[in-house]
Amino acid sequence: MLSLRTTLKRCLAAPSRRSISALYITGDKANENYVTLQPYFDFKDTFSDSESLERSIAGRGLDIRVESVLGKYQSYQTYHNQMAKVAEERETVTKRLKELSKAGADADQLEELKERGKSLRNDLKTLKQALYPIEDDFIHDYLHLPNRLHAHCPTGGEAKLLYRHSLPSSGTTQSHLANKDLIHFVDNNRYYLMEQAAHFDVNAMQSLARYFVKHGDFIQTANPDFVRCVLLEANASPMDDYYLVREEHLQNKINTAYLTGGAAFESYLGAMTKLCVYPSVLPLRYVCCGRSYSRAEAKLYGPDPSLYTATQSNAVQSFVATQTADEADAQMEQILNLAIDFYKALDVPFRITYAPATALTPAESLRAVIEVYAPSLQRYVCVGRISNYGDFVSKRILFSTRREKHYDFLHLVGGPVLYTSRLIAALLEHGVNLADCQLPGTPASQDAQQNGLQQFKDLFA
Amino acid sequence: MKLLTNVRRLRPLLTLRRQRSHDAKASLAAEAPRQPVPTSAQLDELERNVVLRQHQNNLPLIRSLVEQAKDGDPDTLSRLRSELEQLPNATHPRLQDYGVEPRELAQYVHRELPPQANLKEFSELARSLNLFRMDHLGNYTGHKSYYLTGQLAMLEQAIIQYALQAVTGHGFKLISVPDILPREVIESCGMRTEGERTQVYKLDTGECLSGTSEMALAGLYQGKQLSEEQLPLKVTAVSRCYRAETSGLQEEKGIYRVHQFTKVEMFAICTAEQSETELEEFKNIELDLFRCLGLNFRLLDMPPCELGTPAYQKYDIEAWMPGRQMWGELSSCSNCTDYQAKRLGIRYRRSSDGQVLHAHTINGTATAIPRLLIALLESYQRSEGIEIPAVLRPFMDGQELITRNKRIPETKLVKFIKAQI
Repeated sequence: MLSLRTTLKRCLAAPSRRSISALYITGDKANENYVTLQPYFDFKDTFSDSESLERSIAGRGLDIRVESVLGKYQSYQTYHNQMAKVAEERETVTKRLKELSKAGADADQLEELKERGKSLRNDLKTLKQALYPIEDDFIHDYLHLPNRLHAHCPTGGEAKLLYRHSLPSSGTTQSHLANKDLIHFVDNNRYYLMEQAAHFDVNAMQSLARYFVKHGDFIQTANPDFVRCVLLEANASPMDDYYLVREEHLQNKINTAYLTGGAAFESYLGAMTKLCVYPSVLPLRYVCCGRSYSRAEAKLYGPDPSLYTATQSNAVQSFVATQTADEADAQMEQILNLAIDFYKALDVPFRITYAPATALTPAESLRAVIEVYAPSLQRYVCVGRISNYGDFVSKRILFSTRREKHYDFLHLVGGPVLYTSRLIAALLEHGVNLADCQLPGTPASQDAQQNGLQQFKDLFA
Repeated sequence: MKLLTNVRRLRPLLTLRRQRSHDAKASLAAEAPRQPVPTSAQLDELERNVVLRQHQNNLPLIRSLVEQAKDGDPDTLSRLRSELEQLPNATHPRLQDYGVEPRELAQYVHRELPPQANLKEFSELARSLNLFRMDHLGNYTGHKSYYLTGQLAMLEQAIIQYALQAVTGHGFKLISVPDILPREVIESCGMRTEGERTQVYKLDTGECLSGTSEMALAGLYQGKQLSEEQLPLKVTAVSRCYRAETSGLQEEKGIYRVHQFTKVEMFAICTAEQSETELEEFKNIELDLFRCLGLNFRLLDMPPCELGTPAYQKYDIEAWMPGRQMWGELSSCSNCTDYQAKRLGIRYRRSSDGQVLHAHTINGTATAIPRLLIALLESYQRSEGIEIPAVLRPFMDGQELITRNKRIPETKLVKFIKAQI
C-alpha cells in the first residue's frame, strides 16, 4: 500500500514540513488550502472493535500498529476535551458578564470577569496551536487505517474460487498481438483496434450496460473522466494507478485532478459526495459505459506490454448504494450473476474468485475478481472486479440517507464488470470470431441491422 | 492554388518534427537543408495569407530570420524552421473575399417548433427531468464536469450507434483509438501544446490528451506510404475528447462548451485530386445525419479567419437551439490538404508514374454528444417530456419518450455531519 505521506508529496507542488491531505486540512492550514470536504470520522466505531481492526491489518499484511494510533487518539482526545472545557468555561464567563453588566454590577467585578475571559481566550488559542500538529499526526494515521475485512475475504494469501465456467485447454497459443489485421499495438498507452475488434470494443460495452439496465434494473449514467485527489484519497485508491493531469490554472494546489476515465469507480464518487438521499431510492443501482485509464495492470505485469496491460480500455462500471450490509452482500451477488450471464454467453473459460486480503485496497472489505483465461499467458487475467466497501468510503465523502434524526452512511458495492481490451485479447487467443459473438443486451432490432450489414459486407469479402 | 504552390516550394525548409524527434541528437547544421531561402515575393504572399486568416503574424520575424540564416547558423535555421512550421495552411481561393463572416449556404427546416414562450433551455429541461447534474462538482470531478443519468445517458449511446451505422454504411472503417498521445502527433495535426491559451491537456508524463480522434487517426498513418488504390481511405472512431479551453460566456453555459465529451469522428486520407470531392461527401453525410434526426440547421462556408491553422476550407453545421434562441455549432468538416500529411509523413505512390506524393487529409464530426443533446432536447421538448427522434428509437429499445425518473435521487447536499470525538 502506498503511504499517505508519499501520496501527499505527489499532491503538493511545494514541499512542506508537515504533511497535508486534500481530505483533511487542519484550521491553521485552511487559509491557504481550501477545505472541500470534511469527512465523518467515526473514531468510536473504529476503536470499539480493535480486535477486528487488528485482524484486518494483519490479513492485509500492513505495517500499522493499532496501539500507536490509539495512543495518538487518546492524546488528541485529551487535548480536545481540554479545549472543549476551556471553551465551555469561556462561554459561561461571557454569559455571566452579560448578565452582570445588564444588572449594573460594580466595575471591579466586571473587570475581573473580562480579564478571566481574555485569559481563557488566550488559553484556547494556545491549546488550538498545540493541537494542530497532534491532530495532523493522529488524523493522518487514522486515515491510513484500513476498512474491516468481510467474513468472506480470504486471509491466507490465496484467492478463493467462487465460480468457474469451462476449463482452459492445455497448450500454448500465440499472443493476440500477432493478429496484425485487428490490432496495432504501440505501447501500453497507445493501441488501435480494427475491423471486428473495433466493433466488438463498442458493442460489448454497450450491450453489457444495457443488460444491466434491462435485467438488473440499473440506471445508466455517463460520468466525468477526471477525479480530484480528495476523492482518490477518500477511496484510498493507489494514486500512481492514474495519470496526474497538469492544469494551467489550478486553484487548490493540493486537490489536483487525475485521469481515471468515466468508467472508474472513483468517478461515481463525485456525484455522491455530500449527497443525502431518501431511503425510497435505495438500493441505488448505477451502471455506465466509458473509458478507463489505469496503470495498475502494467505495474503488476510490466515487462510484457499487450492489450492485457494497456492503460486505456472501454469499460462497464457498476456502482450500488444500500442501507445495510446485508443488502450490500445481496447486491454484490446480483452484479456477479449478471456478469456471469454475459461471460457465459461468450462461452470463454472464466472464473470468479475472492481476492486475498493482501490484494485489497484499504477501503475494500471484499473483492470478487472476474477472470478470463488468457492462453498466451497461461493464466487468468482480470476483466472485472466487484468490491464491497461497506460504509468506509461513504463516511469519508458524506454519502448518506436520513433515518429519523440520524444520518445512515450508505454501503457501497461496485467496480468494473468488463474491460473490453483484455476480453478482446483473450477471445482472439481462444480463436473466437468477434463478429459472431452473441452479446446479451443487444437490442433485437440493432442485432438484425448489424447482421444485415455484415451480410452485405460479406458479399464483397 | 497559387499560394499552396508557393508553400510547397518551401517544403525543404519545413523540416518535420517527426524527423527531429527521430534523430534529436543529430547536429542541426547537418540536418539543415542547403537550398535557396524563400524569395521576398513568396514571403509577401505568405504574409497576405496569414493576415487574411487573422493568424498571429510571424512574417516580420521570419523575414529577419531568413536574412540571418544566410550565414548558415544552425540556431537561426532551427528557429526559422520552427516559425515556418507555425504558418497556417493556404486558403481556398473562393474564400478570399468572404471577410470575417461565414457565408450561409443553406437552411434546413425539419420541425415546427412550439411557441417560444413555452420553450426551455437544455440544463433546465434535463434537470427538471432529473437526468443531468453539473452543479457543485468542481472540487470533486473538475470544472464544468457533468453527469448524464437514466434515459439521457442511454440516448448518448444510442446516438453513437446511430452515427456509426450511418458512417460505416458509407464505407468508413471503425477503428478504436488511443486518447493519450505523444506531443509530436498533436502538434503535427496543427494544434499547439504550449503557451497560455493551449487547448491541450498534458499529463505528468509529458504526454497529451487528444482533443479529437482525428489526431490519433492521423497518427496511425504517420510515416506510412500508401498506394493510390487504397485511397480514399476512410476511417471513423468513437473517442473521448479532452479540451482545456474554458468559456465564461453566458451563451456557452451548461454543457455547450465542456472539457470532456464523446465524439464520433470521420477521417479520410486521399489524393490531391480527390480531396475537394471527399470534403463534399463528408458534408453530405453530416447533412444527412442531422436531417434524419429532424433538426433545424444551417450550412455555413467558413471564412479564412475561422479555419484554424491546418484547414484549407471548412464547412460548419449549426443547429437552431430553440431553448437558447441561438445557432450552435454541431459539426464541421475540413479539408487540410497536405498540411497534416507533410508534418506526419503520410504519402502515397501515384499509379500512373510511380511518383511518391504527400496525401491530403479530411476530417469531420459525425456526432459530438453534448451539443447534439442540447439541440435534440430543446427541439423535441413536449409538456410531458422529450420525444425521442424516430431514428434513435431502435437503439433505445423502441422507447418513444424521455420522462422524469423518480428513482434517481435529487441533488440534496449536506455541508457537514458532526461526529463524536
